[in-house]
Amino acid sequence: MASLTFDDRPVPIAPNQDVLSALLAAGVDAPHSCRAGICQSCLSRAEGEIPEEAQRGLSNAQKEQGYFLPCVCVPKGPLKVLRAGTSLEATEVGVCAVDRLAPTVVRLRMEPCAPFAYRPGQFLSLETPDGCVRSYSIASHPEEEAFVELHIRLLPNGRMGQFISERLSVGDRLAVRGPFGTCYYDEADRDRPLVLVGAGTGLAPLWGILRDALSRGHRGPIRLYHGARERSGLYLSEELAALAREREGFSYIPCVLGSLGPADGDVGKAVLEGEPQPDAASYFLCGGGDLVNRVKRALFLRGAHLPRLRADIFLPAS
Amino acid sequence: MSTLYERLGGAPAVDAAVDIFYRKVLADDRINGFFDSVDMEKQAAKQKAFLTMVFGGPNAYSGKDMREGHRRLVARGLSDVHVDAVIELLGATLKELGVRDEDIAEVAALANSTRDDVLDR
Repeated sequence: MASLTFDDRPVPIAPNQDVLSALLAAGVDAPHSCRAGICQSCLSRAEGEIPEEAQRGLSNAQKEQGYFLPCVCVPKGPLKVLRAGTSLEATEVGVCAVDRLAPTVVRLRMEPCAPFAYRPGQFLSLETPDGCVRSYSIASHPEEEAFVELHIRLLPNGRMGQFISERLSVGDRLAVRGPFGTCYYDEADRDRPLVLVGAGTGLAPLWGILRDALSRGHRGPIRLYHGARERSGLYLSEELAALAREREGFSYIPCVLGSLGPADGDVGKAVLEGEPQPDAASYFLCGGGDLVNRVKRALFLRGAHLPRLRADIFLPAS
Repeated sequence: MSTLYERLGGAPAVDAAVDIFYRKVLADDRINGFFDSVDMEKQAAKQKAFLTMVFGGPNAYSGKDMREGHRRLVARGLSDVHVDAVIELLGATLKELGVRDEDIAEVAALANSTRDDVLDR
């Protein structure tokens, strides 16, 4: 028997009625356009049994997280539609390590006080006691590490960076919300070349995704490009270089503009020159918007498949 | 007698066409300026809905949505020459996929029927 709730409020739904029309009839201002399961304007998230046709065209990551298309969803049982941006319960964490990875990058390790399930590459929001909230990608791996690790770039006058480097000590408590995002390894890509591209602390999600791919038995070659403005910004380079020596099929390509790496150290160009068959590979692009958008577009124009071009853009706090 | 959508190959044909079409749009200097700052996934989904419509497939085409969706671009100078360019690239996409000229003409006519809505007149 089909039933529907939106934001915990019951919504009447008739047999064979789709979720979108039921929401609209109930006065919910749900975005929509094609009403045919194609344009994805109405993309929403729900808990409950989602019919297969309501997830057609979505990525595996979206499917796993309960995303669906209300306009072509005729529920067979109870379905709980979540309001967009529903804030998850905060999880309390205890700080277990704070140290420098590079002159402007701090590594923060925290132990969650309650179970905190995530996939490497997802992000969370971190909240200080005085209410400063920022989003960071997760660099740790839940099966290999009990702590949750973030790489925090110190910006001049950055509130979170100042708080962490000046006031935070081991043992302090913070709150995190999440995890969010769909930028994580998909086993469907196991036999493809995997190309990981990060600039600055864009390496954080890649460090998790890389180890996730290896532990899940990735069989295609993996190439990780890391771009930094200065040589000192190439953090984790010893670990990555060691991994490249140990693991056949894994290459690490550090780039420093004007001084190290292919394409005179321009990480975007190095990727475009280094990937002769863009259509075969699966990509993760993480870092500032200019670089990520430029590389994503160029790879798409050269034949890369859009659903395999996953990108995480790091936005500075406004 | 099969419909245009069936002759073109239905949903899988739309999937095959959307990447080729979107690449042509992004590579074309006459129109790619209108697409500089858009979310690529959202844009690809919209183009898929558009291709489904002009292929004669299932759709809920709304002139109102088309007007609202393009009003900002019309203010930035979107005009007949840009619509012509899109229809041209659509034809080139179908040609590449081996579609017959008669069917390409039918798709172009369907695309052309949206012109006044797109240009908000």
